[in-house]
Amino acid sequence: MAGHSFSQIPEWHNVLVAAPVPAHRPRRLVRCSGFGVALGFTVATVVVIRFTAPWATTYSGSWLPAAVADLAAGLGLMLAGLLLLLEWPGRAAGLIATLAGAVWLAPDWTGWQDGPPLARTIAMVAAPLFLPLVLNLLLAFPGGSPHSALARLAVRGVYAATGIVSVAWALFRDPRLDPHCWNNCTDNSFLLSAQPAIERGLETAGILLVLGLGTGIFAVSAGRLARGTRTARHRLAPVLLPGLLVGGSAAAQAIALLRTPLEGPQFAVFSALFQARAWSVWALAVGLAWTVVGARLTRSAVGRVASDLGDAPAPGALGAVLAKVTNDPGVEVAYWLPESGRFVDGSGRTVREAAPGRGKVVTRIVRKGQLVAIVRHDAAAADADRLERAIGSAARLAVDNERLQAGILAQLEDLRASRTRIVEAGDAERRRLERNLHDGAQQRMLALSYDVRLARGAAAAAGDPELEAILTSAVEQAQETASQLRALAHGIYPAILTEAGLGLALESLAESAPLPVVVRGTPDERFPEPVERAAYLVAAGSIDAGLDAGTGKISIRVGRAGAHLVVEADGAGTGPFTDLADRVGAIGGSLAADRVRLRAEIPCA
Amino acid sequence: MRVIVADDAMLTREGIVRLLGDAGIEVAGQAEDADGLLRLVAAERPDAVVVDIRMPPTYTGEGLAAAQRIQADHPDVGVLVLSQYVESGYAMRLIQDRPEGVGYLLKERVFDAAILVDGLRRIDDGECVIDPTIVARLIGRRRDKDPLADLTSREREVLSLVAEGLSNTAIANRLFVVERTVEAHTTQIFRKLGLDADPGSHRRVLAVLAFLRSSA
Repeated sequence: MAGHSFSQIPEWHNVLVAAPVPAHRPRRLVRCSGFGVALGFTVATVVVIRFTAPWATTYSGSWLPAAVADLAAGLGLMLAGLLLLLEWPGRAAGLIATLAGAVWLAPDWTGWQDGPPLARTIAMVAAPLFLPLVLNLLLAFPGGSPHSALARLAVRGVYAATGIVSVAWALFRDPRLDPHCWNNCTDNSFLLSAQPAIERGLETAGILLVLGLGTGIFAVSAGRLARGTRTARHRLAPVLLPGLLVGGSAAAQAIALLRTPLEGPQFAVFSALFQARAWSVWALAVGLAWTVVGARLTRSAVGRVASDLGDAPAPGALGAVLAKVTNDPGVEVAYWLPESGRFVDGSGRTVREAAPGRGKVVTRIVRKGQLVAIVRHDAAAADADRLERAIGSAARLAVDNERLQAGILAQLEDLRASRTRIVEAGDAERRRLERNLHDGAQQRMLALSYDVRLARGAAAAAGDPELEAILTSAVEQAQETASQLRALAHGIYPAILTEAGLGLALESLAESAPLPVVVRGTPDERFPEPVERAAYLVAAGSIDAGLDAGTGKISIRVGRAGAHLVVEADGAGTGPFTDLADRVGAIGGSLAADRVRLRAEIPCA
Repeated sequence: MRVIVADDAMLTREGIVRLLGDAGIEVAGQAEDADGLLRLVAAERPDAVVVDIRMPPTYTGEGLAAAQRIQADHPDVGVLVLSQYVESGYAMRLIQDRPEGVGYLLKERVFDAAILVDGLRRIDDGECVIDPTIVARLIGRRRDKDPLADLTSREREVLSLVAEGLSNTAIANRLFVVERTVEAHTTQIFRKLGLDADPGSHRRVLAVLAFLRSSA
């Protein structure tokens, strides 16, 4: 555990610390007021469009399909932004999207014929900020601020440039002198001094900015799609694919303006371009909303599985949940067992400590300063919020459960291994004893009987019938002792089992049994020694038990069933078969007995 | 008769050699493992070999395997396997290909000169020798519906001797009856047990042992 210094824990160290839950009331307030404002603004825009209707100063005022596309894009983006804000209150992405939606509708206000000049002017100045807002959103999503310092600088620069060009244009543009005016040819509340030359230059600068921003949005979307890992692509595609369209259509609009500076709904090119731009924005809104829905679905899935885990967790279930949540099927969870100083997986098997590498990162889950588990997952899934949701709230209990269970399973595994070792050591000792008996006592007894026979022959030759009788008795004693030694050696360990396998060994067992025993179906193949030994002992034990129970006869069937060697004995009585169950259990098998049948399943593959 | 003795235990080996010498049987060589035995057999061409079932290096089936090799390579050499295992399965394995000139005796009888020498002489005559303890266990096996229950006690006695590999002449001598009586008994036994082997042939021992081992 020396290597686990918590001072080096990366930013994920608090993944398991519960996320601060905002109080309920303000959240609801935000929800209601935010959506109310968005809807109110949209309704107001509809009214404005309605008033503008006879004049060709807006796209939406001139044609119903254009109005539908326009409102779908603006309202959609605002609603998606508000959803984002609700889902991730701490992030600016939702605010940016909401603002972008509102700004998207600004041209409708600019073209409000006979509307308040100030409102038209503000809308005119604000409208160009739409593309910088989208660029910011796509660079930073799902967060609110781009990761790299360069990107942050670029975003600020773009905001500043657009703002400066837009404001300056307002200061020097007299709409009545503008040959390219179409949506506002009357009002400019900010006019400082009419400078047609400067105005013309700023207009071109504005178009070039649109071209640059459109290209930039396209490039950012394409770049993030291309560079991201599979998981990242999967998560961000619903936002980045529409991003390509928004950028592309903006750039196309700029190119069209460079060719013919006078735009308006009466020109087919610009009308078509407006439809393209509006539906791209709508697609972006849908994509943003989809990520929120996806996160919600995931969260409810996590919650569901977490409650399942709470009831009866299947080993490794948390790993499956995390794989789903992070879209990373290769996610690995390893629990730290401080008592035995090692990592185990969900089923209690000892695993090596996970190491980062090949697009994988390692997240340490720490509670109260104690390492609980480590999660190795796709680098793109290392989204603090996602992991926090997955492990943070509902599943925290599950983590504890599973870790405890993994710990218990690990202990069970240790116990099982130790049982197996004890049994194997016992068997090895029995075999050694049997060999020692054979090589020692049995050989000596043979030699003894030989010498006694020689002595008896000598006594007979010497004509001593008394001594001959004594030695004859001694020969018989030696003979009897030799047979008992032989039986003893066989009882300690049946050599035929290791030498010839289960078939002959069980036949031999049946031949010498004190009651009728039939053995059927013994496979010819050889099995690992502990397996054959356990099967043999089950058969032998059933014969002993049948004798005690007075069942009259035993029928034994041995066969292979998949990865198990199955021994069934009818007529063994009802037990209890504690010793046999221990023996079979020691190598991972199971033993069951009912009134008629004793059945042992021994893993053999 | 010239014999080769193979056993890894020196005490036993020398005991056997002396015993055979006393009985007037020439010991042409001694081996302490299976390879040595096979080499000696090839070089000396003895009439028979006495071989321990358990020999180096693994002390599992080396003796039995060597005995089967000799049976296959030198059909004219008799083979007597000494074993400490009362296993009819081993005996059956040994005699199943060729039940002539072969025997399986329990090692604890080896110093009973009469049994050892008699066994070797029978093997030299082309008979088969199965240890009486193994036969007794097979005959005495507990059976649910015992087909041997139909036999008279005399017939059981004859059946045991047939299973031990004795010829009709030998059985007649053992039971102090004439050979014709033994023939009548064996015919009757084979009929009662439903054995279709020729009750007079050498191979009948195979049929009887197989029957006794399979009936349960």
